[in-house]
Amino acid sequence: MVSMQAYESDYENQWCPGCGNFGILSAMKDALVKLNLTPDEVLIISGIGQAAKTPHFLKCNTFHGLHGRALPVATGAKMANYRLRILVNSGDGDCYGEGGNHFMHAIRRNLDITLLVHNNKVYGLTKGQASPTADQGMVTKLQQHGVTNESFNPLAVALSLGAGFVARGFAGNTEHLSKLIQAGMSHRGFSLIDILQPCVSFNTLNTYEWYKRRVYDLNAAGSRTDDFIAAITASREWGSKIPIGIFYQKEKPTFTDQIPALRKRPLIAEAYDPERLQALLSEAG
Amino acid sequence: MSIDISIKIGGEAGQGIQTVGQLVALVCRQAGMYVMAINDFESRIRGGHSFFQIRVSDRPVQAPDRRVHLLVAMDKNTVQAHAAELVAGGIILAEQQTSSIEGAEPIPFLELAKQAGGRITSNTVAAGASLALLGAPFKLVKQVLSEQFGQKGGDILEKNIKAAELGFEAVRKISFKWVFSWKETGPRGSLMEGCKAVALGALAGDCRVGAFYPMSPATGIMAHLASFATHYPVVVEQAEDEIAAVNMVIGASFAGARAMTATSGGGFSLMVEGLGLAAITETPIVIINAQRPGPATGLPTRTAQADLHFVMRASQDEFPRFVFAPGTPEEAYDITARAFNLSEKYQVPAIVLVDQYFNDSLFTVEHPLAAPQEIERFIVGDKDMKDPAAYQRFVLTPSGISPRALPCMGKALVVVSSDEHREDGHISETIDDRIHMVDKRQAKWPAMMSEMQPPHGYHENGDILLIGWGATKGAVREAVDQLREKGIEAGSLHFTDLWPFPDTAVVTALQKKNKIFMVEHNITAQLGQLIRQQTGISFTGAILKYDGRPFYPVEIFDGVQRKI
Repeated sequence: MVSMQAYESDYENQWCPGCGNFGILSAMKDALVKLNLTPDEVLIISGIGQAAKTPHFLKCNTFHGLHGRALPVATGAKMANYRLRILVNSGDGDCYGEGGNHFMHAIRRNLDITLLVHNNKVYGLTKGQASPTADQGMVTKLQQHGVTNESFNPLAVALSLGAGFVARGFAGNTEHLSKLIQAGMSHRGFSLIDILQPCVSFNTLNTYEWYKRRVYDLNAAGSRTDDFIAAITASREWGSKIPIGIFYQKEKPTFTDQIPALRKRPLIAEAYDPERLQALLSEAG
Repeated sequence: MSIDISIKIGGEAGQGIQTVGQLVALVCRQAGMYVMAINDFESRIRGGHSFFQIRVSDRPVQAPDRRVHLLVAMDKNTVQAHAAELVAGGIILAEQQTSSIEGAEPIPFLELAKQAGGRITSNTVAAGASLALLGAPFKLVKQVLSEQFGQKGGDILEKNIKAAELGFEAVRKISFKWVFSWKETGPRGSLMEGCKAVALGALAGDCRVGAFYPMSPATGIMAHLASFATHYPVVVEQAEDEIAAVNMVIGASFAGARAMTATSGGGFSLMVEGLGLAAITETPIVIINAQRPGPATGLPTRTAQADLHFVMRASQDEFPRFVFAPGTPEEAYDITARAFNLSEKYQVPAIVLVDQYFNDSLFTVEHPLAAPQEIERFIVGDKDMKDPAAYQRFVLTPSGISPRALPCMGKALVVVSSDEHREDGHISETIDDRIHMVDKRQAKWPAMMSEMQPPHGYHENGDILLIGWGATKGAVREAVDQLREKGIEAGSLHFTDLWPFPDTAVVTALQKKNKIFMVEHNITAQLGQLIRQQTGISFTGAILKYDGRPFYPVEIFDGVQRKI
């Protein structure tokens, strides 16, 4: 059995004390241990932001790339080696702002990865501007008259694009979040887990207390996970009650399942064969 | 007398002039002739004006000729646009319906096509007529048509043979001054578009992943690569944008597959941040930039060589990279493969510059391309390490190259970051780590430079030296021949390996006090500036063409004559 200890990193954590990221990190470790995965079997890919620093704070293979660009890196990695178990750590700005286009198309591809979006509704590293998911009216140093844009609804967008696993977790409920991560990683295909994450430094509105009063487990409340219309309806519920859990789940062929060159084995297991190339060259010439 | 005939086929986009041209080219190749053809078209799907210009010779030809001997006009526009290019004694075959122009031979291409079985065969009628004028034996035309249409089934082949026959018949009474006797020497090599040579070269560099966003004139490279994917272990993905494309390439390479993207200047602009990511994470990638005139959208379907400085310097901060520019399909094959090998060996980005002219032209590749016997992979695994648990991706070494392991392939954990980092890949802002990592990346430079090949000389001890790079090679060499025929002691140096700049070799080559003329498709003589920067040697003058059209050798010849 893998132990939590295996994932302990001695690299100094750089998050603010009390940050919602700590809950997410411990849920991740718990999920990886429960899935019996060792650190060398896991690849975490991330973009830029506080969420994207996550892989530095646990032991694993890591690609910490550019702002917004984690999903294309994950797509390429899967093309090379579809056996990789990939988690992507991203934030609301990273994934839904800078990387919005990649978010849409990774879902359309049904890339077999699990995307964890640490959604705190603000840009933390750049000190507190509103993010795409900020609630309308939120006042920040840059949005001094309050956010006027409609809040980006990642769950509704993912559902409308045909995502096969759409869930929401809460950083203040690590046990529930760990289960979501385990379910997401066990799902063959794209799994989105949007995680409500209080930001103790810059978001004074959506605090732990604020969320604790509102969140409820929609699966415990009896919601089915195979009802698309019910999932869409639940994805639009926001206010006095906020659902968390698995909104929708349906498996279908993944991105790499459908690529003829990958039927037998991953590309990296396919050795260079000069005769094969020579045959192609003779034909092509 | 040697054979050197140019045939220009003009018409609207969508009329299939390329089909006419390719048929003529294939038949000539089948008879042992050297063929090269350029493809000139507008950025539109229908209408406008396009042409396909084929040069047929009994000697190797690697550039288009400005003199047209036979003009085939599928529309009226073609006659107006190109009649002046016709040499004395040249012939214009024009569609009868649209042409009442003086000097043109009216041929009812469409009417004959309908007789043969459909308008679609009018291209074959035109090809048949052109080939008949050149004196081609009909059985050779039939043979090529069978190869082209035999697999399509139904009566497609029969209709096309009939169409070619009617084309032959239509010009029976017309005599062509440059008719030549066709010998049964067997086919001459193969005909290949530049973009195909790049795609094949990628496979010879063991490329396994291609990601791209469609952009002229680069798309042909990825289309060829995708066409191999059915029978070869290569995966090509059309990305949502160029930013995704380059990041996919980086992800694939990080996971262990050699990977590339192809784009043009505008797409390259979007990839620049990714280029920096490849550099700081020391992930090998190959980017093909098929140049076209810019800035911004510029001339989408035209040619240029104005991105040299851009790709050498693109991205914030400094890091080593390779830049190459092949001049022929054979060089494109070799250099693209080398780009993959060197990129992986040094863990740096490699950029290959081609252009619209090169990508979309057909060249005779005389000898078969050979697959490399083996591919050396510069990758380590647990078995190569004393203690895999202690593996550090960016461990400092004298060469600057750290052993590269792959994620999830052993106990060694691979950690990389786009932030500046420590030897173990974790983020660091310390002064020491910053200096060590910049020094480490730059330490690769001297060895990278030793990999660079000197420019290729051609009569390079002449009084007059023409210097070019990339796809102008054929035109420059032909201009040298023309100058030498006039008794002018000219020669050329042609660069394929541009960055790191092969300083020493260039200084040696330029020590003779020749007059140096740069020949480039840009307005500031970018290579000339680079030579001056790296060697202190200035050029005497420059023949620069930036109208989006490829050099005709005679333009270089004229340019040099004016300047000396």
